[in-house]
Parts: sequence; structure tokens; C-alpha cells
Amino acid sequence: MKTLPRIVPLILTLTVLTTIPAASPAASKNDGRPDGGTLAYGEYGRPATLDPITSNEMISLRITELVFNGLVGIDEKQAIVPELAERWEVSQDGRTYTFFLRKGVRWHPRDGEAPRLFTADDVLFTHNIMMHPKTITPLKVRYEFIEKVEKLDDSTVRFTLKRPILNALAKFSFKVIPAHGPANPQYLTREDPFVRNPIGTGPYIVKSISADREIVLMANEDYFKGRPHINKFLSKPFADQNIMTQAMMFNAIDMLVLVNPRDLPELQGDRRFVLQPYNALSYAFFGYNLRSPLLADKRVRRAFTHAVNRKEMLDAFFNGQGTIISGPFAPGSWAYNLDVQPLPYDPAKAVALLNEAGFTPGPDGVMQKGGKPLALSLKVPIEKESEAVKRVVLAFQNYLKAIGVSVKVEFKEWQAWKDAVFAEHDFDVILASWVFDDSADISSLFHSAEIGPWKNNFGGYSNPEVDGLIVESKLTLDHEKRRTINRKLHALLAEEAPYTFLWTLTNYSGYHKKLRRVAIHPYKFFSFADEWFIPAAEQK
Amino acid sequence: MRRYRQAAGEVGERRERSRWRAATTADLAAVGYGLLVVALVVISYTLGAVGWLPDDPARMDMARLNAPPGPGHALGTDFLGRDMLSRLIVGIQAYFLPGLLAVATSLALGATLGVVAGYRDGRAEALVTYLSNLVDSFPRLVLILLVIAAFRADIYYVMLVVGITGAPAIASLIAGKIQFLRTKSFIEAAHVLGLSTRVIVVKHILWYNCAPLLIIQATLGMGEAILVETSLSYLGFGVQEPTPSWGNMVQAGANYFFHGKFWPSTAPALAILGTILGFHLLGDGLNNILESKSAP
Repeated sequence: MKTLPRIVPLILTLTVLTTIPAASPAASKNDGRPDGGTLAYGEYGRPATLDPITSNEMISLRITELVFNGLVGIDEKQAIVPELAERWEVSQDGRTYTFFLRKGVRWHPRDGEAPRLFTADDVLFTHNIMMHPKTITPLKVRYEFIEKVEKLDDSTVRFTLKRPILNALAKFSFKVIPAHGPANPQYLTREDPFVRNPIGTGPYIVKSISADREIVLMANEDYFKGRPHINKFLSKPFADQNIMTQAMMFNAIDMLVLVNPRDLPELQGDRRFVLQPYNALSYAFFGYNLRSPLLADKRVRRAFTHAVNRKEMLDAFFNGQGTIISGPFAPGSWAYNLDVQPLPYDPAKAVALLNEAGFTPGPDGVMQKGGKPLALSLKVPIEKESEAVKRVVLAFQNYLKAIGVSVKVEFKEWQAWKDAVFAEHDFDVILASWVFDDSADISSLFHSAEIGPWKNNFGGYSNPEVDGLIVESKLTLDHEKRRTINRKLHALLAEEAPYTFLWTLTNYSGYHKKLRRVAIHPYKFFSFADEWFIPAAEQK
Repeated sequence: MRRYRQAAGEVGERRERSRWRAATTADLAAVGYGLLVVALVVISYTLGAVGWLPDDPARMDMARLNAPPGPGHALGTDFLGRDMLSRLIVGIQAYFLPGLLAVATSLALGATLGVVAGYRDGRAEALVTYLSNLVDSFPRLVLILLVIAAFRADIYYVMLVVGITGAPAIASLIAGKIQFLRTKSFIEAAHVLGLSTRVIVVKHILWYNCAPLLIIQATLGMGEAILVETSLSYLGFGVQEPTPSWGNMVQAGANYFFHGKFWPSTAPALAILGTILGFHLLGDGLNNILESKSAP
């Protein structure tokens, strides 16, 4: 599980990477497309770490996508393709996976050292470091299904699973790191120099990080799928999102990973740029702290959902570029239950629900119960404070005021916000968003075993029925059955309203039209970047 | 004693009247503009305090975000469709009382230190000078951010800092004035008449002779306080949304400035400009008229 900064972040799970085994390693792609040129892209901030294990935000994730590879990848058509593993065998009972690794793949060289070969030891090393109790990584819960991993020879590894699981192969897309990479071979922390100066097997090599955190990535001449076309990637962090689009209009950068919705019309009208939608499996929501006695009653949470006019916000703030959702899955996911309708905007119903839950208007107009006012704190990380976030939280505050609920908006520094929400659970409401892969696994969000410091069930939601369905869904190997269970889960969680589910936004990347053959992975973004190119005439 | 007080008053009045008569048109215009601004601020503050506004400053009109000025919204709407004019008027609350606190603090502290330094020689003066230099040597914004970090982003704490850091300037002005007045015959006469030091300092020096100076410093201090409040709110440390402050209004509006929607940031920015200019011109004009050395 990863926390990602989008509207205010958190990612769920990981999928995969790129494509097409090259004929001969360490050579040009020989596809007739030109090499050369530089791509400078605007980022929403500075990544905390650059390795695939400790990173927990979109900014880092995008960089690791350029630097590392998994055993398997996913191509543009969502099919699983070989990557560091050339081929694989799955046992009859679905419990053992044997990967035959690509030979001759070399790690990026360190200064003054010859590049080392990628071997089975690196795969074992990555698994062990990922599962080490002292390694803090959102990936751990995702790989608990692995019982053991063995090296059969230098280019063969075998994974034994605790139980057969659905779509297991896709999970072997985790990024492999070199055994000679981290300074500490036991576990990986954010203090390890490797997290700032990583080496991988991927198409781009981290060359340098400037004082203002501009990251320079150079093409890996030795890349096993053939040298990537574009010579140099530059990741430029922008503290102020508002000038990112302007920066591109003035040619300071060539690409925006995510265009601010309000800048869309401007870019649409400019023929120098291409706008490309990509569908992230994600959604935004208001999450409630169910530890608070005020919010423990589901009628109160449903009242809030009725009080919020989601359609109005989506239209006014995002030009209607998105879909309102009713439950815990992204609407593009197979698990999403279209039969469940989002609760309608109905302030009168909201007030009635609050009355039913025992709240009556107090002298100051704020609803109260037993002398205790319905006053809540809404915590928002200030670092990610974009105009859109500000608008949504202030509109939320206003909607709830209309039904007699007082909301205090507190803008907090990013780390302080994470501490308050995930460690201390000191909040009533947050605005956040989850990003999923296609496995639609919501166990870490709503299973009661996931309540605790730094776990994703931050609101402390606990319901034996939901727990049962989640476990059942994980154990079943039948896709249709799993779909039925997830549809039931969707209906149940929509009814229980541990969140006020908001919407999925359509993401747009914007880039200069000199960039060609741009394919974008829904949320890892740069998975296919080694195939992108710039025509020779436009390389400057 | 009574007669003496009247006599001193007459002397002062006559002097001030003649100064007003001799004032240049520019100075009078500056003072006039400044007084107009002060009147507008006070009236708007009162309107905001009693809630007599063109529209509810918290009401959002989601169908009209960043609407241009027009009927219903004389100055347009902001990024959440709220009425700009009402928010501008209510925004005065953000600095009015805190600003007065800052001014009162620096006047009280400055006058006290100034009297101590000016009326007592030697060590007291050295100590006051030392303290003033100490406060002056600290960058004000750093000090404010320090206070915000140590306590919380409360505008009254901030204004206390603004008041304290404004005190040394006033102290040195008062001290200089007192040192000059001490040699005057009417002070010596007061001493001879056996008046207490307290009466001489408060009444004869501060009240009769330093009042113009203090008023000038108060207007300049108010301008300074408004600037600090709006700057902090602009940076997100001051008044928090949804409460309006001219600073956070400029900040919110600035995001849309390059999208051809200039009024949400321009209106509060002009309000800040006009108001601070008003306070400064008032102070400057008064200074030229009442304190200039060339006047009779």
C-alpha cells in the first residue's frame, strides 16, 4: 500500500511495468525511431525517497518506474509480459511459481565500478529486505501470501505461496533492487544512502540531484530492452502548482504529469500541446474517525453524505471531469457495483437523520446531543493544499454548516498531518484519495485487523460482516464468485458510510507535441517511457 | 498651577494653529486622504461588526465562481462564489482590533522607555538604548514566525510582537524630544513650582508636547500592522479560511490571476494599497505640519 499525493493521497497496491523483450541486449532498439533529446517534466513536489521499497508517494513511484524493473510487467493492453524473468512456470496447485531470469542483465554502474550482473540473489535479497520487520514499507501486507522463496540456480528462483491466490502473477511485478545496493543488507530505512542514490536495471540511471531537488536521469545505454530513445529525463519539482502550467506554456518544461483541472481549457486551446487522459483507478473521499463517539453512529455519517452536494462541487470545481461514486471501489474496476446509487443531495433528509440519531439544534444553531455540540475538526495537509483541495474542504464546511454541523478546517504540515491521521488518530474528518491497481483489494482499508498505527484503516472501521466478506473474497479463486462478494461488500460499505465517497476524476497529462508515441500507465505513468521519442528535428 | 496649565495650553494651541496655516497643499491633501481612509476603515469596521453587509460573506454561489463585478456583486465573487465586497468589509476585522493592540503596545512601551531614557541620564539611558538595539537587530518576520512556531498562529500574539518591535523607534524619538524639552524654561518653571516628576512627564511633556508625535507614530504603526497581518495571511500563517482577510483573499485570488480573472486578487490588493498608503500619508502629512523644524 502506498500513500500518494493526488488530491491528498494514499495509494493502494502496485501493479506493473513495461514491455517487449529486445532482440539483443545493450543495443539500440533498432525500430527506426531516433534517439536523443531531453524531456523535462513538472512534478508536484520533491520525492522523499527514490527506491521502490520505502517510497510511498506518487512522485517517487514515477521515478522508480524509470529506474527499476519487476520480474514481470504489464503491457499497454494490461497483459502480463516478461521483464526481468524471461519465462515462468506455475505448478498445478497454483502454489509454486518458478521464474527463469533473463541472462546478461546488468545493474546500473556505480561511479568507478564495473556494472554487476543481475542474478537470482538479487530477487531473494529484494524479497527478504521487503519482508524484514524493520523495513518500513507499504508493500509488506501485499506480499504476505509468499511463504518462501528459493534460489534454484543463478538464473532461476522459485516462490512458494501460502495458498493459491487470484492474479498472483501480476503481483510479481514488484521492483527488484540489487543486493549490493543498500548499505545495510538486512533492512532498508529512509536513512540508507541507497534511497537517495539508487541503482536499478531500468531504462534510466539516476545521475544527479541538484540542491533544489531537480533530478537528472540519463538513458541506460545498456538497457536490456534496448537503449531508451530519449537521452535525458529531468524531473523538476514545483512548490507552487499554479505556475506549472505556465512553466509549460513558456517552454520551461515539456510535460505535466497531471494537469490542474482548471488549466485544461487553456491547454486545449493551444496547438503546441497534447492533452492525454489516463484513467487512474482512484477516488477521493471524506474519511471519518469512527473512534469519535459523534461519528460512531452511521446515521450521522449518512447525514453528512446527504448534506454534501457532490454534483455541484464536481461541476463547479472540476468542470464536471469525473464520476460520482457510491462505494469503496474505483468505478473503472470490475468490483464496482453499479446497482448501488450514490446517496442523493438532500439536506432535509440529513437533518432528519441527525434528529433520529438524537441530535437537536442548540442555542447557537449547532446540533447537539446531551449538551455535546456536533463540532468536528477536518485536517488537511498544507503542503498539498491546491486550490481544488481548498475549494472542496471549504465547500464541505459550508454544506455541513447548513445542517447545523460545525467543522473546523485545520491546514497541517504534510508530515504532521500523516502523524495525526495514521499514528495518533487525532482527527475527526480527512479529505484523501486512494489509488488502486486492478486487484480491487480493499482489505487494508476496512478490515478490522488493519486498525493500528500506520495502517490504512485509519478511521478504525470494524464490522465482522465486512471482515468476513473481505477474507472470503481473498480466498476464492473463482473470479465470478469474487465479483459477487465484492458487489456485496460495495453495497454494505455504501450503507455503512465509513467514508463519504466523492468521485473519480479524469486525469489528464499534458505534453509538448514534439514527444511521440507517448503511452501512459494509469498511475505509474512512466512504464512505457523507454519507447517515447522526439523527432530529430525537434531535439533542439 | 491651574493658571500655568492653561497658559501652556494656549501656547501649544497657538503654535499648532499657525503650523496648520503654514502647511503646504500637498501635506494638507495627504492628511485629508489619510483621514478619509481612517474614516472609511472605521465605518466599514462598524458595518462589518453589526453585520450590515451587501451579502452574507460566507454564502457560496457555486454557479458563479470568480464572477466579474456586476449586479448583485459590486466587486464580483471569489473562488467559491462568495461576495467580494462583503468579504472586503469583513476582512477589516482581521486587522482592526489586532492593529490597535499593536499600536497601543508600541506607544505605551515606546513612551515609557523614551521617558526613562530621556529623563534619566546615564545608565538608564544606556540600558534603554541597549534594549532598543537588541530588539532592532532581530528581523521582525523571523521573530513573528518564531512566536507562531512557539505558540500558535494567533494574530494577537503576532501583533504583540509587532507592537514590541515598533517600540524602540518611538522610544528614541521621545527620548530625543525630552532631552530637548528638559532645557526649556517652562519645564524648569514647573520644577521650581514644585510639581512632581510624574505630572511634569505625563502632562507637560507627553501630553502637551509629544501628542502630535505619538499620533504620527500611531498612524504609521497602524499601516505597518496592516501590512504584517495581510502578509502573514497571504502566506497562510495569519487568518485562516473561511474567515476573510485581505491577505488570504489576495492569495486565493492570485491563483486565477493568469486565467484572466484579475478582480478576486486585485480588489483586496488595491484595498491594502489604498489603506496602508492612507495611514502612511496621514502620518507623513502630520509629521510635516506638526513636527517640522522650519515651522515657527
